[in-house]
Order: sequence, then structure tokens, then C-alpha cells
Amino acid sequence: MNKLATIALFAIILSSCTGEPAGEEGADSTEPIKIGFIGPLTGDAAAFGSDAINGAKIAVEEINAEGGINGRQISIIAEDARCTGGDAVSAAQKLINIDKVDVIAGGQCSGETLAAAPVAEAAQIVIMSAVSSSPDITNAGDFVFRVYPSDALKGAALANYFDSKGYTKIAMISENTDFCIGVQNVISESTAKSGGEMVFNELVEPGTKDYRSLMTRLKDIDFDVFLVNSQSDSTGGAMVQQMRELGMENEIVGTDTLDSITLGQVMGEAMEGVKVLSVPSLSASDPKGGPFVQKFTEKYGNAQQSTFFAALSYESIRVLIDVMNKVGTDGPAMRDALYGHTGYDSIVGTITFDEFGDVEGIPYALKEFQDGELVEVERIPLN
Amino acid sequence: MQLIFNALIAGSLAALIAGGLSLVYGTLGVFNMALGQMVLFGGYITWFLHIQMEIPLLMSICGGALFGALLAWFTFEVFVNPFYKRHRFLPLVTTIALSMILDGLILIIFKSSPKGILQGLKNSVEIFGAIISTEQIALIAFTILILCSFAYVLHSTSIGRKIRAVVQHPQAAMSLGIRSPQLHRLIFISSGVLASFGGIFIGIDQNLSPVLGFPITIKAYAAIIAGGRGHFWGAIICAYLIALIEQLVVGIPLLPGGNYIPAGYQHSVALFFIIVFLIFKPTGLFCSRLRTA
Repeated sequence: MNKLATIALFAIILSSCTGEPAGEEGADSTEPIKIGFIGPLTGDAAAFGSDAINGAKIAVEEINAEGGINGRQISIIAEDARCTGGDAVSAAQKLINIDKVDVIAGGQCSGETLAAAPVAEAAQIVIMSAVSSSPDITNAGDFVFRVYPSDALKGAALANYFDSKGYTKIAMISENTDFCIGVQNVISESTAKSGGEMVFNELVEPGTKDYRSLMTRLKDIDFDVFLVNSQSDSTGGAMVQQMRELGMENEIVGTDTLDSITLGQVMGEAMEGVKVLSVPSLSASDPKGGPFVQKFTEKYGNAQQSTFFAALSYESIRVLIDVMNKVGTDGPAMRDALYGHTGYDSIVGTITFDEFGDVEGIPYALKEFQDGELVEVERIPLN
Repeated sequence: MQLIFNALIAGSLAALIAGGLSLVYGTLGVFNMALGQMVLFGGYITWFLHIQMEIPLLMSICGGALFGALLAWFTFEVFVNPFYKRHRFLPLVTTIALSMILDGLILIIFKSSPKGILQGLKNSVEIFGAIISTEQIALIAFTILILCSFAYVLHSTSIGRKIRAVVQHPQAAMSLGIRSPQLHRLIFISSGVLASFGGIFIGIDQNLSPVLGFPITIKAYAAIIAGGRGHFWGAIICAYLIALIEQLVVGIPLLPGGNYIPAGYQHSVALFFIIVFLIFKPTGLFCSRLRTA
């Protein structure tokens, strides 16, 4: 009897979770529009995951304060995918099938976006990533968009930079994640094309912090520049620190994940002179992005990794909302509208989507750590 | 030579954590799956005291260790003591729960960006052609000092004799008037202190980030299983051994033709060695004859 009661209770709980009559897509519906968010809220990559969710929250709050979309408020449902594909798939399935979201913002790690893309594609729901950069995302699907430039472009930009400095012998350590492998492939190809050589090219388990023995080996190798290809700032910082501790003075170049405001503080002079090729920074004195940065710092304190990541996430939500304002929440209609959506003026640049859903108009910047601060050295326009 | 130093650095860290754990596992027979998180908490508290509160480093370290002791005490009373006498696998579940709670707390309190206790570059010196920083020498020396003082307590004091008696045969020790419950508490707390020293070590030598917890736990267990249950020295030697294998795997060409094993297999190769070893000597490297599984 007791068992029966438990089962009955369980059934009631279950039905109250899922049994809600799914809101039919009526034009006059006043229910909130649901945006699903997928990103690394915990784990090694949580620094930029939390920046992204906070940026997205600011966008949603602003729109809600302005009255929402055609009178409908917006709610955001965040799911943690911990920078792994498996968790991103479950998150996407939960968001689409249980929460019945209208659109997904995410994932943030490339691995998340690549894994969640087929799920969204099958459900005909637009999925928009703020900071994923893997070249594979270009062909991940029709409903897949991103506001971050593809690493295919980064390879070319880095190759140009190495060329201009006369660097031909390149050493690199990569973490075994979708993002890093994307960068690794792009760099290997572009190096081969420009006549350079990969003299050291190792792949390590994600999250590795002890690079000493690899660095010991590297020390006996003649190389011009070391490329830090890490998935997060904590691992990339460890690479730089342990390399400098062994007395190697070669130039170090990092990618987007090294673009971290905390690294300069934590690593101090170890980071001095390290170059980072990433998207531009956004400071409180920026004429366009300044107000956003101030709002962000007021609400959430200093960004964990980069205010630019938060701004990208913020703008990706604004673009989605802009499109929903025009064509409603129907997936295919939104997709078509996004492809035809050109020249959206934003605080991070002009956002236009090409025929693959990749963004045009977000430039790269070469930055350098000087006295613990990241200083922009050069702006590199793309396309 | 550099590789041996690298192994010493990595091994000292592992030995600190595994040493305390092996005592806990040997005497109480319980698995503490929240160990890695206790390690991190020790490091984070020290970071907080030293960087945020600007308290001198030595006092911060004491603060971190003290907090580690308190956390271990709390863990023992709430998550271990009520359960382990009923079945020694119950704390396995409760401490997994605790590890999740602590993981969440670390994220909430300390946020996800990396933290370093000593900021900036370390002063490096050259010894026998290997480069090592003064901080790392201090850390290795400190580890050895701590382990030696543990050894002294274990082998030359009455408390140590009691602990060894409880390890060998808890019932017999009880019948001779040793209050093993008190000893259990003491051992658990000292393992917590050693764990926080491990966290401080990480915070000084590398940087702290919230996800380190579980891998630390796994490595410490690998060391104590390889070392043999309840064998303090076995665990410590195996911690150094695993670290050495890990460094050698990526540091010297082991594959034919002067090729290196890909660095991604670093940890797998080390654990594979342990597995092969245990097949031939399942009681561990230094088995104690009075094993009761």
C-alpha cells in the first residue's frame, strides 16, 4: 500500500512537471518568450561561461524593462554544459523538449555548440553561439549561427603575424578539446602553407596543469615562437609560467582563452610581453561599449575573463530579440531573417551573417601584457 | 636531471595528500571522496588570507591549515562518524555528496578565475644543470619535513604506536585499552591538515581553479592502492613513483625511433603501470602481512 502511494505521488509530481499543456504558438499569447542558454557555468571554462550568462541576462533585463517583445516578457533558462559535448546535448534536449524554449543561446565552448547543433537543427530551433570559434561550426547546420569569428580566420591572421616577424619554427601545446584541436589544425595548415615548420606539437589531456617535462623537452628544441593553445586561462597561465621558470625567453603568443584580465594579476611578470591574438577588448571608456561595461561591472563586478565575451553574448541576445520582434518566434522564419539580417550595429562591431551563419564584421586585435594589463597593440581587420 | 626535479615537485604534492589519506584508509577503512575539495579549500583560504586580507604568508598558511583541520573535523562528525561503523562504504556516498557541495561552494565563494597565492615569477636557481625555483625547493623541503615529523610521531611516540596498533588490528587494540574512536578523529583531522598543505602547495606552485578537486582525489587513491592498504610509506613512495613515471613518459623518448609517447597519454600510462603491477602483486608494493580487505 505504502509503495503504491509512493508511486502515485511520484506520478503526480511527474505529470505536474511535464503535463502542462504546451502553449500552442498563438500570436496573441502573453506567455513569456523563453530563451535557453547553454554554457560552461562550472568547470575549467566557467570564467567565460559566467561572463556570457551575465551579458545575456543584462540584454534580457533591458528588453523586459522596455516592455518585452510585442508585450511578451522574456525569460532565460540557463543550463550548465561544463564545456563538454555530452552535457551540451542533454542541456539542448532538456531545453527543447521540456522547457520548450523558442531559441537557444549557446553553447559557449566550441564542443558544446557542435554537440548541441544537431539537436537544435532537428527541432528547427535557431541556436546562436556567442564565443564559439571552431572552424567546424561553419558547416554545423542551417540553424546554427555565431557572432564570433571562425578560427579559420585566426590561422590566417596568426600566419601573417609570424610571417611579418620572420618566425618559421613554431612550437605549440594544445589541450584535447574541440576548440583547441580546431586551432591546432588551422595553425598546422597555415604554417605549412607559409613555409614554416611545427617543431613541437603536443596534445595534452584537458585540464593539465603540469607542463614541466614537456617544457624541459622544448628547451632543447630550436624554436622561434611558442603558441599557447589552451582551453582556459588557468591552464594557459600554467604553460606560460612553467616555460618562463625554465628560463626560456622566446616569444609567446596565445589565443582567445589567454585574453583574460585575471591572468595579468595572478601571474604577474610571468605574463609580461606575452602576445594574445583575440577579439578586441572593451573598456569602460569605450565610446560605444562603455555604458555596457559600466552596467556590467555595477551588477556583476569585474568580468571573470573578458567584458568583450560578455558583450558578445549581450549582443547575440539583442540580435535574436531584434529578429523575434520582426518575424515572431517561429524557428525557420527566424533562421531566414537572420540570414537576411545585415549590418546590425552593435557595441562590438557590425554584425552580419554570411551564408554559413558565420559572423562578419568582428575584427581581431593583437594584444600584449604590459605591467599586468592587456594592451591592444594592433587592430587586425578581417575579410 | 630536470625530469627528476619535475617529478620531485609533482610527487611532493601527491605525497602530501596521499600520506594523510593512507592513514585514514588504513585505520578507518573509509574512502573520503571529498579529499580533493578539501585540498582546494585549504589553498583557497590561504589565498584569501594572503591576497585579499594581506596577512603575511606564513600566518596565512597556518590559517589555511587550521581551516583544513576544522573542515576535516566537521566532515568527520557529520559525514563520516555517524556512518562508518555501520558499513565502511557508507561514507563513500556521503563524502561524494560533500564533494559536490564543496565544489559548488568554491565556485560561489571564490569564482572560477584562476588564483595564485604567490604572484609573479619565481626566482630560479640552477642545481646540477636543472632549473628549479627557490619556492619549489622550499615546498619540497617542507613536504619532506612534514612527512618526517609524521614518521617520528608514528614510530617514536605512544600515539604513533597506538595508531599502528589500530591499523594492524582494531579489535585487539581496543581490547588493550586504546580508544580507537578518538584516534580515528585525530587521524581524520590530520589528513585534512595534510590535504590543505597540498592545496597551499598548488596555490604557490601553480594556480588554483575549481575543477582540480576530483583528479587530485583519484591520484591520491592510485598512490595508496599501489602502496598497499594502510601503509604510510608505501603510499608516499608510490606517489613519488607515479609522478616520476608521468614525467618520464613525456620527457624521454620511449617509443622506437626516438619518438615520444603523445603527452595526452601521460596519466593513462602511469596508471597503466600501476594496474600491471597490481596484477602481479595485488597486495600493493609494500603489503602489510595483516591485511584484511
